[in-house]
Amino acid sequence: MNDFSSGFREAARLLAGGDAELYGIIGRTLLISSVATLCSIVIGVPLGYAVARGRFPGRTFLLGAVNTGMGMPPVVVGLVVWLLLARSGPLGQFELIYTKHAMVLAQFIISLPLVVGFTAASIQALPAQLPDLLAMLGAGRLRVLWLISREAHLGLLAAVMAGFGAIVSEVGASMTVGGNLQGSTRVLTTAIVTTTSRGEVPLALALGFILLALSFAVNILLTTLQQRRDG
Amino acid sequence: MQVALEELSFAREGRRVLDIPALTFATGTTTAIFGPNGSGKTTLLRLIAALDRPDHGRVRFANGNGAPPLVSRQNIAYAFQEAVFLRGSVRANLELGLQLRGVVLGERDVRIAEAARECGITHLLDRSARRLSGGEAQRANLARALALRAPVTLLDEPLAGLDRVARAQLLDDLPRLLATFATTTILVTHDREEAFRIADRLVVLVAGVVRASGLKRDVYRQPPDRETAELLGYTVAPVNGRLVAIPAGALRAGTGAGAFEVIVERVVDMGNHQHVLATVGGDRVDVRLPAGAAAPPAGSLLSVVVHSEVILP
Repeated sequence: MNDFSSGFREAARLLAGGDAELYGIIGRTLLISSVATLCSIVIGVPLGYAVARGRFPGRTFLLGAVNTGMGMPPVVVGLVVWLLLARSGPLGQFELIYTKHAMVLAQFIISLPLVVGFTAASIQALPAQLPDLLAMLGAGRLRVLWLISREAHLGLLAAVMAGFGAIVSEVGASMTVGGNLQGSTRVLTTAIVTTTSRGEVPLALALGFILLALSFAVNILLTTLQQRRDG
Repeated sequence: MQVALEELSFAREGRRVLDIPALTFATGTTTAIFGPNGSGKTTLLRLIAALDRPDHGRVRFANGNGAPPLVSRQNIAYAFQEAVFLRGSVRANLELGLQLRGVVLGERDVRIAEAARECGITHLLDRSARRLSGGEAQRANLARALALRAPVTLLDEPLAGLDRVARAQLLDDLPRLLATFATTTILVTHDREEAFRIADRLVVLVAGVVRASGLKRDVYRQPPDRETAELLGYTVAPVNGRLVAIPAGALRAGTGAGAFEVIVERVVDMGNHQHVLATVGGDRVDVRLPAGAAAPPAGSLLSVVVHSEVILP
């Protein structure tokens, strides 16, 4: 219990003290995970829609792959991305390994199946006739997509929360492809691993509390949006 | 607006679903597409609405005044069988289509008020559309389509899933509503009563093929074949060497010219009359007997006469 209270106090002290490195880590964590989530939304939501409503060869296979991907171990994703981006790897020439870009790519791969899967489930839960109804009322293709997304907003925000939640808290991929470089690729989860291994338990706990608070704040924001009552 | 189908055919997974060489829905008429489940009725509506593409042929829209028609979907209001609504009030749902079709704000209010009044849902306009009862939802579904004031209205089983009271009320109201909004209406139903009560013209569709079409009176009086006759409510049986279609209630116990015998299977007391279930030449027929008449025993022969039968080709 003593460790926990020390952790709380340390977290408060670090935040109140305006520690530049800590705020740098928090900002980096938010930036990398937000960009990765955004990329997943841009690609994952239309893909989820296509998987839910489309009729094309390989749809069932794709859905199976998405469902498998939803439980993919981040460290395996990290390993695959590392093999691709490592200097000797097929994409080594781009020199992305141990950069924030590599971390965004790995986190994008982790969150994409979650966004696709949750989107597909929420679209499939809508009445099958909805797209035809909207088309007959006079909506064009893009308008149909927009109106359907609005109808499925509960599920879509759940997709965003699941995608963001999975990557902001993962450590395996970030450590493998980011390298946990101080001032460059260190994020909250990798910082926790480092401080724990150094035996600085109160500091590790403090970072853990900050990570939880950050995750909670983002989820509260999304949940508020999700739960707004309709007219 | 007139809707003309020309050489229209549609197949799904290699199976022919619809094949209509020519069929016209005249301006201002209400036509019921009537047939059993799986006969291609909804497919026909979807082809007219351009929600599906025909494999062959086309659907042509023509204005009575010779002016070129607008883009096809702008001509059409479609009330789907399932009354699906978006989140929000009934008013918002009625307004969406008007907004999407570019109707200006003031005009939208007028049309919503009119459609709601005619369909009897004015008191529901501010209610959440997803919390309506079955009957209310079907009325709102209809109001949403009618508010569009499209020259062509497509109704897919508009009374499906309603309880007896709601169905009876809407069945009474529908012909008046369609007349008020004066559109060319194409209604799909598998229910004979609905088809006859709502429409003035009838198209009998069986396995994707039009078996009969025209004024409902003409279609009823001249069924072209046994299946169509049975769909229209006739009992078909061989009588004195000819295949005849017998209208419901036209077979009575009696003797004399044209009388024939049926084999009694069972007699059911219906209170105000007796219903004799019998067979002739292997076909099932129903005979009406007065309430007080002696019930013939099962297996006995009963002499009957037919009033107003139709001889099938």
